[in-house]
Amino acid sequence: MKIRNLLAATTAATALAGAAFAAGHETMKIGITQNNVGVDSYQTTYEKAFIAAADANDAVETVVLDAGGDVARQIAQMEDLIQQEVDAIIIWPTNGEAVIPAVRKAYQAGIPVIVTNSNIAEPGFDFVKSFSGPDNITQGARSAEIMCDKFKDMGIENEAKVVHITGQPGYTTAIERAKGFNDRLPEVCPNVEQIDQQPGDWNREKSQKVMEAFLVKYDDIDGVYAGDDNMGVGALNAAKAAGREGIIFVGATNFAVGYEAMERGEYWGSIYQSPVDDAEAALQTAIDVLKGEEVPFLNYFDTPKITQDNMSEFTKPVF
Amino acid sequence: MAAVTKEQVGGFLARQGILVAFAVFMVGFTLANQRFVDPDNILGVIRSSAILGVMALGVTFVVISGNLDLSVGSMMSFSTIVVLDLHDKIGPALAIPAMFAMTLCLGAFIGFLVGYLKLNSLIVTLGMLSAIHGLTLTYSGGQNMDIADKEGTWFDFFGQGSALGIPVPILIFVLLAAVLGVVLSKTPFGRKVYAVGGNGTAATFSGIRRARVVFTCYLISAFCVATAGLLQASRSLGSQNTVGQGLELEVLAAVILGGASLLGGSGTIFKTVIGVLILGFIQNGLLLVGLQFYVQYVVTWIIIILAVWLDIAAKRGKLWSPIA
Repeated sequence: MKIRNLLAATTAATALAGAAFAAGHETMKIGITQNNVGVDSYQTTYEKAFIAAADANDAVETVVLDAGGDVARQIAQMEDLIQQEVDAIIIWPTNGEAVIPAVRKAYQAGIPVIVTNSNIAEPGFDFVKSFSGPDNITQGARSAEIMCDKFKDMGIENEAKVVHITGQPGYTTAIERAKGFNDRLPEVCPNVEQIDQQPGDWNREKSQKVMEAFLVKYDDIDGVYAGDDNMGVGALNAAKAAGREGIIFVGATNFAVGYEAMERGEYWGSIYQSPVDDAEAALQTAIDVLKGEEVPFLNYFDTPKITQDNMSEFTKPVF
Repeated sequence: MAAVTKEQVGGFLARQGILVAFAVFMVGFTLANQRFVDPDNILGVIRSSAILGVMALGVTFVVISGNLDLSVGSMMSFSTIVVLDLHDKIGPALAIPAMFAMTLCLGAFIGFLVGYLKLNSLIVTLGMLSAIHGLTLTYSGGQNMDIADKEGTWFDFFGQGSALGIPVPILIFVLLAAVLGVVLSKTPFGRKVYAVGGNGTAATFSGIRRARVVFTCYLISAFCVATAGLLQASRSLGSQNTVGQGLELEVLAAVILGGASLLGGSGTIFKTVIGVLILGFIQNGLLLVGLQFYVQYVVTWIIIILAVWLDIAAKRGKLWSPIA
């Protein structure tokens, strides 16, 4: 009897706490430790959007931290947030492996952890409530579909040749996007041949050099897939300088430069990944977890296809 | 043929070992892929090496004077971002001199610390590497910088234009190399640079003002970096904040590959140019051969070691030293 009462009381208390959060009688204190704000426009925009979304929600109080790309600093920040007894922690890992002990510490302290943007390594999954971010494998697959659809429109789906410029070797995002693309392309366009694949290191200049070499090496290139638009535009610049026309460029993470090149009709398509959506999804996931709602472990936000045909439905990226 | 003696051949090899190494790689890559020697490819490689090359020219001065400059990569990012930002704000005609002035200020600051305050150049420029990176990020607010009107500007001339059928970056690289080559080998200032790097104490006793020489070397380096930033900005008309990241080591590799001693006192502009070209052609050659990129990192390193070894071996006339 006693135990049952206790259980009932606990359940009621939990429900009450959830209701209290929901009704806004009590504010949720959410801490975030980001990877490296300021190093690129995506992360800068993400932080602004996160703070704006939190400000707009009266029930949320945030502690916003940035690790500056430094693993040790991020671990110290995790410990700070645990000390401050925040209700939930959002982490954008500086390193998927090294932060696991700090995440476990939060888990042991009973603080739910939400990983944002890029996931931590699998051994840490047990200590994490949810991952909120883009699905890079799907992004790669969608880029393959965009490329294949365009080839079909042009009637060259049986002979087209594609080169592939990847992100920095060893980075999860680069590996997953490349895998998504390489697996999907033969499924949708079995006769399209990928003739070369080299890294552009997320760097426009490096990508331009790689593309210059491709253009010398191959007389016949019909499509270029780049792991992000920054590299895609580098490749486009190389093709323009060499006077090679009619190549279909497809990227991922639509950048402002990519969007503009699409407006000019030089660049075919990309994947629309908004840092604003990314930030808002992370905050919402944390709120849902605190309210006790069911949240899928891999909570992807949608990153739709964008091409010259449908780009009017999207606003130009701010980064 | 009889006129050429073994000694003359040996003497030539000893002086120009790095050229021999260069020739060996060129032949090797050509055998692997005929397109390597395509004139378009050769011009393309030299054009994209020009940015690294221009920076290496300045660093050659710094290294010969017995110092290091590890800040050139992030300084180049700074110049690129600044000139792109000012392009839209005050127009290219003013943006270019303004950017040069700002970059020269950074160079003067480093020159002051290393030359006049006699601080260790490794520490100073390593610190400036991250300090300037922070400065760039503060300046740009972390945003990528892009020129708004890419079609309607003449600013693309430096990176994308060509004159007399030769891409402008190559012309600038060659011109700067010629001028700085003459400065280093034919002027009193050039001799002072060697003297300061070779034996600083002796230079002081000969009445050379070391601090001023070192200071000037860093100014030259900053000028070269600003030129590289201009080429980079003009080439892509937009840039991320980290565009020059890691270039400091590539630049240093090119300079050392050209035979300049890290201890100072030796090296020439001509050999630095060869060093730059070797690095550029290795990158391009490996892409054309189509090696998997994980392997490329290793092969690049092996080729650099091989080049240095050929150079040394030619100098002493033997493949290995009998005295360990």
